[in-house]
Amino acid sequence: MPIFEVNGRKYEVDEDGFLQDPSIWNEDVAKDFAKSEGIDELTDEHWKVIHYLRNYYLQYGIAPMIRKLCKETGFKLNKIYELFPSGPAKGACKLAGLPKPTGCV
Amino acid sequence: MSDEKTKRQKKNFVKLSDMAREDGQPLLHLENEDLMRLPPPLDDPAKDRPWRPIPDSAREKYECILDDTVAVNVPKPKTKEEERELVKKFLAGLDKLFLKEDNWTFLQPLVLSMEYCVKCQTCSEACHIYEASGYSELYRPTYRSEIMRRLYFKYVKHGGFLAAFEHGDIKLNWALVARLIELSYRCNLCRRCAQTCPIGVDNGLIAHELRKLFSQEMGIAAKEIHDNGSMLQLKVGSSTGMNAEVVKDNIEFIDEEISEKTGIEVHTPWDVQGADVLLIHNAGEILAWPENPGAFALILQQAGISWTMSSELAGYDSVNYGLWYDDAQFARVALKHAEAARKLKVKRIVLGECGHAHKALSVIADRILLGEDNIPRESAMTLLHEIVMSGKLKLDPSRNDFPVTLHDPCNLVRLMGVVNPQREILHKICPQFREMHPHGVDNYCCGGGSGFAIMSGNNFEDWRFHVSGRKKLEQILNAFSDCVDDPNVNKYVCAPCSNCKGQFRDIIAYYGLWEKYRIGYGGLVELIVNAMEDVKPGFIDWEWH
Repeated sequence: MPIFEVNGRKYEVDEDGFLQDPSIWNEDVAKDFAKSEGIDELTDEHWKVIHYLRNYYLQYGIAPMIRKLCKETGFKLNKIYELFPSGPAKGACKLAGLPKPTGCV
Repeated sequence: MSDEKTKRQKKNFVKLSDMAREDGQPLLHLENEDLMRLPPPLDDPAKDRPWRPIPDSAREKYECILDDTVAVNVPKPKTKEEERELVKKFLAGLDKLFLKEDNWTFLQPLVLSMEYCVKCQTCSEACHIYEASGYSELYRPTYRSEIMRRLYFKYVKHGGFLAAFEHGDIKLNWALVARLIELSYRCNLCRRCAQTCPIGVDNGLIAHELRKLFSQEMGIAAKEIHDNGSMLQLKVGSSTGMNAEVVKDNIEFIDEEISEKTGIEVHTPWDVQGADVLLIHNAGEILAWPENPGAFALILQQAGISWTMSSELAGYDSVNYGLWYDDAQFARVALKHAEAARKLKVKRIVLGECGHAHKALSVIADRILLGEDNIPRESAMTLLHEIVMSGKLKLDPSRNDFPVTLHDPCNLVRLMGVVNPQREILHKICPQFREMHPHGVDNYCCGGGSGFAIMSGNNFEDWRFHVSGRKKLEQILNAFSDCVDDPNVNKYVCAPCSNCKGQFRDIIAYYGLWEKYRIGYGGLVELIVNAMEDVKPGFIDWEWH
């Protein structure tokens, strides 16, 4: 497995850079991954998205519909892209320690 | 042949024997200058996006010796002994491909494709990957096939010296097998080459059979379509990871959204015994393009169709990735689909906007769905055509008064001949509909076919957008050449297939085509609902396309 090394910590990630073991996630992981996604500092708005994704994932075992994410957080899609330049799946989900979405999504 | 083409062909030439080279180096490196030129506004190769290199972490662990990318991530064997074992397994699998007990699906066309190619190269000119790559020999459709053919004559038919003389010799080692694994994932399986072949030799099938050998005999397949694809689908019910509870919850959300947006109360029926129609979507639609299943529900409801969805395992996800790489996985999923329909005693299955699901369940599954499993299967295209032409929905084409072009999903159109229903709908409801050229059964693949649209590991996307998706991108730019520069005109690429939509979404984002040129994409049912008089205007949400 590729290793993602940042701030003196090492994470096992998959070929797309997603955390290999979602269960080891904590807020430091999000902070460590933020830089690689071009995010300097995580604001309250970032955390709102990350925590929603994280909680949904813990309950259902997958990522939520992006529409649901927008509705629940009150952010429009372009706002999500502003917050997470790689987008909701490749950016926000990665920071929230979710596995890469699967299937034709 | 132009001088330019000859020059590029020479630069990127590889011999068949290079496949067995043991220098651990890739056989091909492409620069943007080498690629087929795109039309304006993307006509300057210097401004094309740079390719990311394969990450060092992948180079260390995986066989990355074919070209500029890596799709399958085959671990490097640690010892020569391990290499020999893998080659032995490969040979055992090769033999099985040519036995009727082991290859119940495609033996005959495979043998014919081995025996009867006259090497006229008509197929090469038809291949979008070969053309887009600047005619790189490695991607010539017959390059892969010729390797396979020589292996067949030498190791399956044991042709000996005479076969080597007649058909050409070939050296078999692990390097060749490792490269062949990757090369079997450089073909979209669109089968445009097979269509053009004067005697029906099928290079797409050869690539498919190689993938099958690697998966069934060696346990090697792209992770996105096996581990995270068909395996996940058989375990939880959908390759998206949605179980029955999640999918119902999501559909409820979609019903609410659609009701609010259209002003018409929509209710998706679940598990209705004896319904006329069991509608099976590609479950990716539900997560990524929810307006598509929402629009379907609205149309079927307003047209008075007796229909249902199924919450059985795989009954709500029509994908069958086995079609691309593994007959056993294919059969397991197809049987699940039939089981869902049988349990509900529906009159027929209707497949939503997903090309490969059409081919999988309608055509290939015909070999295994017998007796009460042999439930009639229909394309959504013909059902929608019937509804739109019946006059049951009041439609106002002026609501779709923007440029629309139609992408033909290969599985639906070239391989099944469902050509006209979707076009006749568009002619009726989209005043600015224009065809791509060529189109219909002569279409080009979106570039995401055979699973590529969901494969993005390492730097595979760079290859997918620069090479396999390039011809389709050319077609799209040409279809909108009269208005591409006008940022006030929204343009719609109608793609009635989830896999194709995934490719379009990604390539549009990669080249910034929405921000710069207002090129968007979407399915067919969205355009129908957008034209419905009873629906609040503005159903198509361009921000999401």
